[in-house]
Amino acid sequence: MTASLENPDDLDARERDALETLLKRLADDEFVLAERYTEWQVRAPSLESDLALSNNAQDELGHARLWYDVLEDLGYEEQDLVYERDPADFRHATLVELPFEEGDWADPILRSYLYDVAEKLRLEALEESTYPKIADRVGKIQSEEEYHLEHAQSWLERLADGDEGHERLQDALDRLFPHALTIFEPVNRDVESDIVDLGLRDATLEEMGEEWLSNVVPYLESLDLDVPESGQMDDDEFEFEVTQEMLPEERGRDGSHTDAWVDLYDEFTHTYRELGRSETTKIMEKPE
Amino acid sequence: MELDTVKERAGPREFSPADDLPEEYRKAATRMIEFHANSEIMGAYLERPFIRQAPSIDRKLACSAKVQDEIGHGQLLYRAAESLGIKSREEMLDDLANGDGKFLNCFHYPMEDWVETPMIAFFVDGAAMRRQATLRRTSWEPYAHAMDKVCFEEGFHVKHGEDILRELMTGSRKEQQMTQEAFEEWWPRIIQFFGPTDDKSTHHDFAASVGLKQQSNDALRNAFLDQYIPKARKYGLEIPDEPRIRELDDGTYEVEEGDLDWDEFFTIAKNDYEPGLGQINGRKAAQEAVQWVRDTIEGDATAAGGHAPQAAD
Repeated sequence: MTASLENPDDLDARERDALETLLKRLADDEFVLAERYTEWQVRAPSLESDLALSNNAQDELGHARLWYDVLEDLGYEEQDLVYERDPADFRHATLVELPFEEGDWADPILRSYLYDVAEKLRLEALEESTYPKIADRVGKIQSEEEYHLEHAQSWLERLADGDEGHERLQDALDRLFPHALTIFEPVNRDVESDIVDLGLRDATLEEMGEEWLSNVVPYLESLDLDVPESGQMDDDEFEFEVTQEMLPEERGRDGSHTDAWVDLYDEFTHTYRELGRSETTKIMEKPE
Repeated sequence: MELDTVKERAGPREFSPADDLPEEYRKAATRMIEFHANSEIMGAYLERPFIRQAPSIDRKLACSAKVQDEIGHGQLLYRAAESLGIKSREEMLDDLANGDGKFLNCFHYPMEDWVETPMIAFFVDGAAMRRQATLRRTSWEPYAHAMDKVCFEEGFHVKHGEDILRELMTGSRKEQQMTQEAFEEWWPRIIQFFGPTDDKSTHHDFAASVGLKQQSNDALRNAFLDQYIPKARKYGLEIPDEPRIRELDDGTYEVEEGDLDWDEFFTIAKNDYEPGLGQINGRKAAQEAVQWVRDTIEGDATAAGGHAPQAAD
C-alpha cells in the first residue's frame, strides 16, 4: 500500500493535482445533483415525497460541503470552488446537470438510482484512501447514501408497475443512461492513473464502470426496462464494459457540458453576482 | 355537545377528536387550520426559488431546510384539520390548487430578489410566531399540539431571516439600499398580516367565543409593532412614512388603519389579486403535472417515500 499523504503542504505537484481532481469530481457531482433535486421541493407528488426528496437534496449538499471543505485545505475558498469558478472548470458528470421536465417524477427517481449505485461503488473504493481526511469522511456519507438507494428502488419498483410509470421510466432511461456513463469518464487520463497509483482511490474508472453496469443492467431489466447499449459483452452475459459509442457528446468530467449547465450556473450564482459579493457566508462550523 | 356547552368549556386544548362537537365549531376550526396549512404551502412555494439563488452553500442548505420545514408544517396542520371530520387533506389541497383555498396575504405577492427573503423569513415569520405562540392555547387540541412543533422550528426560521437581514444591512451600500427598498414595499403588507381591524373581522367573534382564537387582530398587530419596529431600526432600516404609526405615551405603537390599502387586502382574500395568481396557478400546474404519480400509487399505503416524518403525536 502506498504511504499516507498526510499534510497538504507536503504534496508535490503531481499528488496535489490528483487529489484536487478526485475531490472536484466528488464535490461537483454532489453539489450539482443537490441543486437539481431542490427543484422538486414544493413540486413533488405528495407532501411525504416532498419531504423525502428534500432530505436527499440536503444530504447531497452536505456531502458537497464535506468535499469542498477538504479542497479548502489546499488553499481554496468557497468562492473559488463554486461562486467564482469558471463553469467550464466544473468536473461533474453530465447526468447531474440535466434539467427536469415539469411533472416527470420518473426522472429524479431513475437518476437518483443510477447515481446512487455509482456513488456506492465509488465510496467503497475510497474507504482505504491514502488521504486520511477522505477516508475519514466516507463512513458518514455511506450511512446516508444507503437510504437514498433504498428510496430510489422502492419508488422505481412502484412506478415500473404502472403503465404510465413504466413508459416514463423507459423514456428517462433512454435519455439518462448515456449521461450516467459519464460518471466513469476521466478528467484527464494521466491524472486518473495517478489517483489510483497514489492510492487516493483503489479502483480504476474502468473497473467501477464495469461493476456499475453489472449492477444496474440486470436490475433495470428485472423491471422490464430495455437498457440502451448496455455494454454487455456478446460472449459473456456477466461481462460489461463502457465503450465510446455508448457515451454522449458532452462528457462533463473533461469540462464539456450541456447548455443546461450554463443556465443552471447563471441561476445559482445570480445573487452572488448581483450583490457584488466577493466571499460567501459560512454559518455552520467547519466539518470535523 | 351543545354550542353553549362548547362556549362554557372553551379553554386551552379543551377539545379533541374524542369529543362530539357541533358542526359550527368543527367548520370554524377547519377554516382556520386549513388557512394556516395552505399558508405554509404557499409560503414554501414562494421561497423555493431562493434555495437556488442563495449566495453560499450554508445559506442554500438553510433555505432548503426551511422550505422543507414549511411543507412538514403543512402536513401536520392538514392532519389537525382533517381530524375535525369536515374535509379531507386531498380536498383541501385540491381547493388550494383550484384557487378556492385561502391563505395569508403576504404569500400572494411575487418575490423577485434575495433581498426580499428576510421580509418573509424575519418579519412575516416573526409575525407568524406571535400569532402561533397564542395558538398553543387554542381549544382544538390537535391544533395546539401541532403548534408546539411549528413554533419550535419557526424560531430557527426567524433567526435565519434575521441573520440574512443583518448581513445585508452591514453589507455594501448597494445591498443596504436594495434591502431598504424591499422593506418599504413589504412593510404595509406585513402589517396587514394580522388581518383587518377587529370591527371589520368577520370570523373573529365566534372563533374567540369557542376558544379557537386567543387574541384579537388588533392586539396581535400592536404587539408585533412594539417588538419589530425597534428591531427594524436596530438593523438600520427606516420605517416608511406611510402607513402612519403613532407612538403612544407608554412607548407602544399603533398604526393608522386608514393608510393601509384594504381594497387590495380584500381582493387578495378572495384570491383575485392579479399578480398573486401566478403563484396559485403555478402551484396548480405543478400539482397537475404529477397527478399521474398520485394515480399510480393510489391505494398504496406505503406510498411516497416510506420514511416520511410522522405527526408529533
